Amino acid sequence: MVRRRRLEPFTLASAVVALVLVAFVLVPVVSMMVEAGAGFLGQALRQNDVRRSLWLTGSSALIATGLVFLCGVPLAYLLARRHFPGKGLVEGLIDLPIVFPHTAAGVALLTVYGRDGVLGRLLAPLGLTFTDSVAGIVVAMMFVSLPYLVDTAREAFALVDPRYEQVARTLGSSPAGAFLRVSLPQAWRGVLAGALLMWGRGISEFGAVAILAYNPKVISVLVFERFEGFGLHSALPPAVLIVIIAFVVFVLLRAFLVPRRRGTGREDDR
Amino acid sequence: MIGLSGLCVRGGRFVVGPVDLQLAAGDYCGLVGPSGAGKTLLLQAVAGVRSPMAGQVLIDGQDLTNTPPEKRGVGLVFQDGLLFPHLSVAGNIGYGLRRRDAASLDGLVRDLGVEDLMKRSPGSLSGGERQRVALARALAPGPRVLLLDEPLSAVDGEAREELRDMLQRATRERGVTVLHVTHDVAEVFSLADTCAVLVDGGLRQVGPPSDVLRRPVDEDVARLFGARNVLRATRQPDGDGRTVLLAGGSPLRVVQRVDAAEVLLVVRPEDVTLALPAGVASVRAVAGAGGVGVADGAMGGASEPNILVGRVERVVSHGGHSLVRVMVPPAIDVSVSSREVASLSLEPGTDVELRFGAQMVWVLPAQG
Repeated sequence: MVRRRRLEPFTLASAVVALVLVAFVLVPVVSMMVEAGAGFLGQALRQNDVRRSLWLTGSSALIATGLVFLCGVPLAYLLARRHFPGKGLVEGLIDLPIVFPHTAAGVALLTVYGRDGVLGRLLAPLGLTFTDSVAGIVVAMMFVSLPYLVDTAREAFALVDPRYEQVARTLGSSPAGAFLRVSLPQAWRGVLAGALLMWGRGISEFGAVAILAYNPKVISVLVFERFEGFGLHSALPPAVLIVIIAFVVFVLLRAFLVPRRRGTGREDDR
Repeated sequence: MIGLSGLCVRGGRFVVGPVDLQLAAGDYCGLVGPSGAGKTLLLQAVAGVRSPMAGQVLIDGQDLTNTPPEKRGVGLVFQDGLLFPHLSVAGNIGYGLRRRDAASLDGLVRDLGVEDLMKRSPGSLSGGERQRVALARALAPGPRVLLLDEPLSAVDGEAREELRDMLQRATRERGVTVLHVTHDVAEVFSLADTCAVLVDGGLRQVGPPSDVLRRPVDEDVARLFGARNVLRATRQPDGDGRTVLLAGGSPLRVVQRVDAAEVLLVVRPEDVTLALPAGVASVRAVAGAGGVGVADGAMGGASEPNILVGRVERVVSHGGHSLVRVMVPPAIDVSVSSREVASLSLEPGTDVELRFGAQMVWVLPAQG
C-alpha cells in the first residue's frame, strides 16, 4: 500500500503565504480583463493608435535591449571575472537606475539629450534628436532597464567556473576564444534571461519616456493619456493588450530558456 | 623539461616561492603538500593562467614566463575533470585540435578507453569516465608538459586504480613531462619518479619518493610522509655522538652523528617491531633506571636493535592493520597487523617491547 506523503506544516504555511502573493498579482490583471469585456481584444486591435503604439513600444524596447546587449555583456563578463579599482563604484552606478525615480531619470536624460543638452546639441546637426522621437524613447528605455541585463548576465558568468577558461586557454584558445567557445555557451541562458527582463522592463517604462519623448506615444503613455482624457474604459484595451502580450512572451521565452538542466560535469558523480 | 627558477606566485595574501625546480624531459613529478600549501597556485603559474610575481618558467629550455597559455604547449587537468558541459565527449577531446588533426586521436582514445563514450554528454559520465575524457582532451594536442591538479581524488576504488594505470601508461608512452599535484603520498609512490614537497608556500624537498620517505628534511615533510613518531631527544653527554636520550631518559642508538644538544628523531610506525616482553627482567636489568632502555650490546653498534619497553595506551584499528600507541615515554605509534593485535591480545595496559634498528632512526635538527 502506498502511503501518501504528508505535507509538512512549514510547507503548507509557505504555500498559503505564496498564494496570497500570487493572488495579489493575479486579481488586478483578471479584474482588468473582466472590466474590459469579452470583445476587448478585437476592439483594441482595430484601433490604429493602439496598433502603432504597440509596435513602437515593442520595437523600441528591442532596439534598446540590443544596444545594451552589445556593451552590457562584455561589462557583465568583466564584473564577474575581474577585480579592478573602482569596481564597486561601477556596480553601484549600473544599479543606480533601479532606485532612481523614473521621472527623475527622464529629467536627468533631458539635461543630456534635450535640445539644450550636451549630446542633444552635438547630435542634432546629424539629424539625431531625442526629444519627442523614437531615439529618445530608446535612450530612456536603455537608461532605466539596463541594470536588469547587466546584473543577470553578470550572475550567469559568475556561475561559470573560471577554470573552464583556464583549460580552454591551455587547449589553444585566446581569451576571446575561451569566452566565445566556453563561457558564453554556458552562460547564454542567463544572458538571454537578462535581455528578456530588460525588454520587459523597457516596454513598461513610463516616467523617463514621458519626460524625454512623450511623442510618439508608447503604450504606457497612450494608456495614461486615454485615462486622463477619456477615463478608465478608454484606457483599458491598450492596457490589457500589453499585459497579455508581455505575459505570453515571458511564458514562452521562459519555457524556452529553462527547459532542462544540462550536466555541468559536477552533479552526476557516479 | 620543466625549469622553475625563483618562481614566486601570489594568491590573495598568500605567496608561494621562491621555487626552484628542474624536471628532466619525460619525468613524472609528484608535487605533494598539505591543503593550502600553494600547489595549485604553482601549477597555474606553470600553465600560464596565473602571472608570477617573480622568477622564470622554462619549458624545454625556452623562457615562457610571459608566454600566454595557448602558446606554451601544456595540458591541464583538474580534479573534477571540468569537461565543457555544452559539448559532447568528442567535442571536448577535439577542442584543442584543428579539424584535420582529428584522425590522429584514434590511438589516444583507445589507450584511455573512451572510444565508446564519444557521443555521450559530460553530464552522463561517471567520475572515472570524466577524468579519462579530461585526460584525453589534455593529451590530444600533444603537449610537452602535462599539469595535473589532484586528478585522481574524485575517483574511488577500482576506477581509481584503473585511471592511475591509464595515466601512467599514456604519459610514459608519449614522453610527456608531468607535474602532478596531490596531497596523497600513496599516489606519489605509485606514479612519480620525482617528488617535490611544498609546505606553506615553500619547496622543502625534491628527490626520489623513497629518499623523501627515508630522509625527510624536516618534521613537516616527515609527518606528511606518514612518520607519526617525531621524537624530541638530547645528545648523551660524553658519548660517541651516536647515542641520544629520549624525553623519558631512555637512550637510543642512531646512525647519524649528533653534534647538536637537541635533535628530533623520526621513527616510522612500520619500522618498529612489537612483541610481548618475554625477557622483560633481563632487558630492565640492562636498561637500568626507568624500565626502558637499550639492549645489552646495542650501545656497541648500529646493527643491534634499540629495545624499549612500554605500555599500550590505545589501539586504533584501520582494518587490516592497527596503530598501537605505546607509552615508553614518550608515546610511540607502531603499525601492527590486526591479526597480530588479536594474537598478542593487545589492549590498553598491556606491557610490550619495541624493537627497531639504529638505521631506522632518522635524525633531524630540532626546530624552534
